[in-house]
Amino acid sequence: MRLFHQTNIDFMGKRRVWYFISLATLSVGLLAVFIKGVTLGIDFLGGTELVLEFQQPVGVGDVRSALEKIGFGQGEIKTFGSDRDILIRTPEQATGMTIADTIRSTLKNAFPDNAFEVLKEDKIGPRIGHELRQDAVYAIIASLFVIMIYIGFRFKFIYGFMGVVALFHDVLITFGMCSLFNGLSSYLNLEMTQSMVAAFLTIIGFSINDTVIVFDRIRENLKIYRSDDLTTIMNRSINQTLSRTIITNGTVFMVLLVLFFFGGEVNRGFAFAFLIGTIIGTYSSIYVASALVLDWTIRKARKPSLSVQDTHLTP
Amino acid sequence: MKKNRFKIFLIVATVLLSLYFLFPTYKDYDFTRQLRSLAGADSLKFAEERENEIRDARFKRIKLGLDLQGGMRVVLEVDVLKLWDDLAKNKDDVFASIVEGVRNEARTSDKSLVELLERQFKERGIRLSRYYGNLRDSDADLLKRLDDESGTAVERAMQIVRNRVDQYGVSEPSIQKQGARRILVELPGVSKEAEVRQLLQGTALLEFKLLKDPEIALKVMDSVDKYLAGQGLSDSARADTLAAAKKDTSLLPLPEEQLKTEEQAAKEHPFFFIARPNQEGNGEVYVAEQDKEKVKRVLSNPDVRRLVPADFQFVWSAKPAFISEGKKYFTMYSIKREAELTGGVIVNARATIDPNFNTPIVTMEMNAEGSREWARITGANINKRIAIVLDSSVFSAPVVRSKIIGGNSQIEGMENIEEAKLLEIVLKAGALPAPVQIIEQRSVGPSLGEDSVRKGLVSSVVAFLTTVAFMIIYYRTGGTIADLALLFNILFILGVLAGFQATLTLPGIAGIILTIGMAVDANVLIYERIREEAVTGKTLRAAVDAGYSKAFSAIFDSNITTFFSGVILYQFGTGPVQGFALTLMIGIAASMFSAIVITRVIFEIMMERGAAAIHFG
Repeated sequence: MRLFHQTNIDFMGKRRVWYFISLATLSVGLLAVFIKGVTLGIDFLGGTELVLEFQQPVGVGDVRSALEKIGFGQGEIKTFGSDRDILIRTPEQATGMTIADTIRSTLKNAFPDNAFEVLKEDKIGPRIGHELRQDAVYAIIASLFVIMIYIGFRFKFIYGFMGVVALFHDVLITFGMCSLFNGLSSYLNLEMTQSMVAAFLTIIGFSINDTVIVFDRIRENLKIYRSDDLTTIMNRSINQTLSRTIITNGTVFMVLLVLFFFGGEVNRGFAFAFLIGTIIGTYSSIYVASALVLDWTIRKARKPSLSVQDTHLTP
Repeated sequence: MKKNRFKIFLIVATVLLSLYFLFPTYKDYDFTRQLRSLAGADSLKFAEERENEIRDARFKRIKLGLDLQGGMRVVLEVDVLKLWDDLAKNKDDVFASIVEGVRNEARTSDKSLVELLERQFKERGIRLSRYYGNLRDSDADLLKRLDDESGTAVERAMQIVRNRVDQYGVSEPSIQKQGARRILVELPGVSKEAEVRQLLQGTALLEFKLLKDPEIALKVMDSVDKYLAGQGLSDSARADTLAAAKKDTSLLPLPEEQLKTEEQAAKEHPFFFIARPNQEGNGEVYVAEQDKEKVKRVLSNPDVRRLVPADFQFVWSAKPAFISEGKKYFTMYSIKREAELTGGVIVNARATIDPNFNTPIVTMEMNAEGSREWARITGANINKRIAIVLDSSVFSAPVVRSKIIGGNSQIEGMENIEEAKLLEIVLKAGALPAPVQIIEQRSVGPSLGEDSVRKGLVSSVVAFLTTVAFMIIYYRTGGTIADLALLFNILFILGVLAGFQATLTLPGIAGIILTIGMAVDANVLIYERIREEAVTGKTLRAAVDAGYSKAFSAIFDSNITTFFSGVILYQFGTGPVQGFALTLMIGIAASMFSAIVITRVIFEIMMERGAAAIHFG
């Protein structure tokens, strides 16, 4: 079976349009971040989180009114997956680690004939939250740096640099989309937790993976077609790798859909971020990383010699 | 065929190695299944007969993270400020405000506590010697001393926690030092929050307790032995000792009259058969690790308890006394229930080498009140033994040589300096508590864990099948071979996980699922390349060769970069995130091997056998 025969699409010709679309998406995402804000999970915030499974369905309102009596009504209370499972989260931590005990005993009294089982209970001190937040930022910066060095070394510095610019683009858009979609459905929890950070780092890994494959073809074609200009070479390379790009990313996408629907509540946010990341990452290899390298090369060639012709890059 | 011999050997070796590593996991699963199908007494019998095998399989299987099997994860932090507060003398309001200031700053500052303390003192223009040491000591010296104190406090806290967790009887607990002053405790299968909190945070209790006279101790145990051998032996206790007798053929010397047949000995002396008295008759008995629970059970039997005098207490050594035939033997001491002295009187303890004999010793200092008591106790018990008991475990039971006046004692007879160091830590635990705070606690109930395992399995299988189906449809023969490689790939990942005794977590399963999606990427790259080459009119062999060699640089570079982000994720992440990073890294390595080497060898063999065409879709 063959979905794509030799294509010949002029990718680079329409790059300006796509720059605009990229910027627009980025703005929408960042606007969502500024307006809606980002919900930090308790990994980063510190506090207490409980997931309880009741024997019969229970109303969120009832739980809230029961907890209001002990002053925890302002905390977050919502269903978690099914209507028998309730998630309770409170940033409160004044009295050490006993908040969960208070909540449990209160609910035991409030629902005497609806027993519950504790599915999950997390308590995180404020200092740990602060440290985890810092570690997450360090991890992302460190991986971007290492990637830039490696690509710069294997190709050319500008390729490494633009590759990382594309990664920034991917991470920011995914981050924005997570903020935009968070809370739209109780089925989807997109708070920033440790596993979300893992998702972002993996998006970085996958997106650069895709970019490297396009760059690799460009590197190869530059050696073969020495007389062609960079625009032609890039278009040819992208066309040649297009089939692979779509097949591989399609497979990953399918797998992620499986994870999204069957992987359970804990993996769902992760899978969602990843689904967005896969789409953006595939697109950015072409219209961010490659296109920016092209524009930079054209501009650089034009400046000193005032020549209109594209230069040839040989890594 | 010849040139591929090495590759084939490599593949076969890797597969065999993976299977070898995975075998205990399979066995553990099999045992669990069999145990579940058996009921009550049968399952107990089954478990006892295969005790070592089961334990071995359990130890070597792929470990499930707390998120999959349920349990508690607790991070403790030694409260250094509290410790310094305890150490200070002549405390006043100024000191209280200094401590408060450091505590507030520490919440947001990245500076070390010592630096913060120094600044607080400087701001107020006070010297540290006002509260610590004496006037001659410089600030720098005192700060260093306080820093050292906080370091040893962490060690002490770890020892106390380890001792208690061991006694609590959690299977496969993990206790690790994290950073400078944190202790990470993982307790699989434990869900009793309050109990564990109490266990980890309570103040340690160090006591000095007199050992019972050996003759009396042996007499009491003899009456227990006779009782068990006689009519009143309860069924469960009989089953315990008989089962132990059947398999226990340890070569430990038995008293004369017991040197008949093993079985008979077990019948006549059920208690002494599993609790072997020391040959010198000093009243100690040795119990193999796996029999400890049985002895405890026997001794807590109400009928047996009636035979034991009220002031009698049986306590266990914290560490095994010796190891024989791979079994650890613990000492059970008979001691007086009431403590002679508690550890609060200890001022200092230090492990050193005795210059005269070049042997490790521990010196111990007591305060004035303690010294007076100690002189009386030692004076009255010369040539008797006093046990040093921390939270009901005996760390040492030295003989009193003479009356000790002035509170400076010396303990000898340690095997090596490590043992002496341990005793120093234990004695200090009595002198100075190491206050700990729980700063992070996560617990997962067993039902959520089971649910996660089930969902993880379902999504892995669905992801695998979707990918496999797609590859066959799209690449036909090539796809089938890639699928075969994928199967090997999963085998390798699991094998490596088991081999390194890594822990499989829920995000780890996500990592494996992603690897399934990723693994085919290498094959897609190669096959697309082969198709391209074939279009230019190359022969099958030439196209395959060109496809593999041209696709290699892309596969290598792209996998390396993803691998890098895995490494970083592993470095910065904690717990579950590390699990994800680990499976991702293993997956990348395994997929490069299976997608490049294995598929290639299969194609080579097919072509050698004369395949004129291989379908790549």
